Amino acid sequence: MLKYLIVQLDDSSVSFCHYNNERKKRNLMPFDILKEAVFWSMKENLTLQFLYPEYEIPQEYKAEIAKTSHANIVPSTCEDEELRYDADVVVFNSLESINCYQLSKKQSYVIRLTLADLIGNALFLRKILPKVDRLNIVITDITSFKVEDEAIYSECLKSLSEGIVDEYKASHSIQVNLLTDRMLLEEMNNCNAGDETITICPDGNFYVCPAFYSDREISFAIGSISNGLDIKNPQLYKISHAPICRICDAYQCRRCIWLNRKTTLEVNTPSREQCVISHLERNASRQLLEKIREIGQFLPDKNIEEIEYLDPFDKLLKR
Amino acid sequence: MEWPIAKAAIDYILSQEDSFPEESVVWDFIGGEPFLEIDLIDKICDYIKLELYRLNHHWFNSYRFSFSTNGINYDHAKVQNFIAKNLSHLSIGITIDGTKEKHDLNRIWKRANSSEPERGSYENVIRNIPLWLSQFPNGATKVTISSDDIPYIAESVLHLFSIGIHEVNINCVFEDVWKDGDDIIFEEQLIGLADAIIDQNLYKTNNCSFFSENIGKPLSPTLDNHNWCGAGKMLAIDAAGNFYPCTRFASYSLREKKPVIIGNLNDGINLNKLRPFLSLDRTTQSSLECIDCEVGSGCAWCQGENYDAAVTPTIYQRSTAICKMHKARVRANNYYWNKLFSKLEAEGEREEYEKHKKTNSQEPC
Repeated sequence: MLKYLIVQLDDSSVSFCHYNNERKKRNLMPFDILKEAVFWSMKENLTLQFLYPEYEIPQEYKAEIAKTSHANIVPSTCEDEELRYDADVVVFNSLESINCYQLSKKQSYVIRLTLADLIGNALFLRKILPKVDRLNIVITDITSFKVEDEAIYSECLKSLSEGIVDEYKASHSIQVNLLTDRMLLEEMNNCNAGDETITICPDGNFYVCPAFYSDREISFAIGSISNGLDIKNPQLYKISHAPICRICDAYQCRRCIWLNRKTTLEVNTPSREQCVISHLERNASRQLLEKIREIGQFLPDKNIEEIEYLDPFDKLLKR
Repeated sequence: MEWPIAKAAIDYILSQEDSFPEESVVWDFIGGEPFLEIDLIDKICDYIKLELYRLNHHWFNSYRFSFSTNGINYDHAKVQNFIAKNLSHLSIGITIDGTKEKHDLNRIWKRANSSEPERGSYENVIRNIPLWLSQFPNGATKVTISSDDIPYIAESVLHLFSIGIHEVNINCVFEDVWKDGDDIIFEEQLIGLADAIIDQNLYKTNNCSFFSENIGKPLSPTLDNHNWCGAGKMLAIDAAGNFYPCTRFASYSLREKKPVIIGNLNDGINLNKLRPFLSLDRTTQSSLECIDCEVGSGCAWCQGENYDAAVTPTIYQRSTAICKMHKARVRANNYYWNKLFSKLEAEGEREEYEKHKKTNSQEPC
């Protein structure tokens, strides 16, 4: 069931996820499309999330957006200082940009970086933890993950976990998506693009997510604001129709539909790289849970089982 | 396919022994008439055998060369030499469709110009059937039925039995070609065929895959949830050296969709692109109507046709174009077994039949 509508206000709006926005040229969503999108979301009972570009959008746009409850996702380098300060989510596209940013526990932060940058900067990221309550780390080059990266990534997660344990010792219940989400979840909590979330883009068309607008190679629309939503084969976006994911317990996995389509040609099938990365995180969460319990009682009913596989596809093949 | 591509394909496959742990292998020559390229095929097969020996490969002496041929060149010296050289490792099926009328409906010689009269290939094939059966006494043929073929089914199957082909694998095409009323004529044809097979005691020595004891029953969503089609569990290579999960995913086999290429000779197999095929099960790709179908067993599908007919580029949407034909087949099949068992019981031969009955081979893809 649909719950969220992401509104990409401009072609160059910030990416807050795995895809790199290939559309660099400004192209602001026409005002009448924005109005229709807001109106439609109210009728469909959807929560709005706005994706902003670097430049300041016109005042009339801001007034329209303010008419209904919503979340703002803003690049850390946005020229609109007031918007940046009030944003629900701030997105960093480089580690350098964090240094000159006044972090706040009121906001959530997304840090988009390559695996190499993440591995090389775990200590830097640990220094951020005391300053924020919610940090989402998004790896932008999952497709190039190799077998030899597994041990290095595990070490990186272990280092980040030590930083999280320190925060818990200081009574600061920090959330870091890669490590703490799995501890708190009882079931799959993925991106759910195409099922719970869809996106409207400046061309007035609906897309499964912003990546399906940005990536021209596999871009396809799922209807338009003028003609209505038209998701073909909608069942394939649901966990029930994803044979690998429905037997998986890496509940924190983004299960990125765009990466699925790009790597396996099917929206319901993840690549080995996506599965292995999520399982390294899952296993690191398991160890983190044990470490936090050494400090004191924590989630006593939670149990993350020890498993022998890193890719649930291997488990599926054995059935 | 040029020899360097064929050689590179063999080198690639034999160098990936860990990726192909299966005990045995079938090298299937398909796509056009294989015996037109007998020199190339002979060279390929010789190279495979030499390399299997040189590499001490686990497929050495555990392989087959498989051919579906139109049979026209079957008696040519080069083909016969090839057969003599490889006989113990060969599977050859000649595709003869049935009576002359039925066969010549679809299998027509290319004409030099449009004024030349159309000429079917039946006579050119039938003359080679005795030679083929002398070399492959259990030789089977595969017949594919489309809308225009339906009126010829019964006489064609009986004709094939009469010329010594005792195993007739036959199926309706999966494409959406069916007209209103086709299912009724199809059922009538199969009832007529059932009567002939039983009344003439042909069931004792012949088998037609249309009739199977296992079809037409409900399927459990959990216990009977395997995929029907073998796409993804075989490797198909085209003349340019591209890899496919089955030849049905090559551009020359598709009407609407882009080809699904899962690798090539230079880069190897992209295992991520195989994951959707190997994860497929029956219920995930089926509509509720299919999942709940009370006569679902034996209802087949082709993954390539599913992909080609799907409303999005997916292999996870099962085409149901064949539905009414399957249901007609089930009705005729029920009739066949009820009639056969009544006859056997009346003649006191049921027990004997059960002891010696042939198990139907897996239906053809």
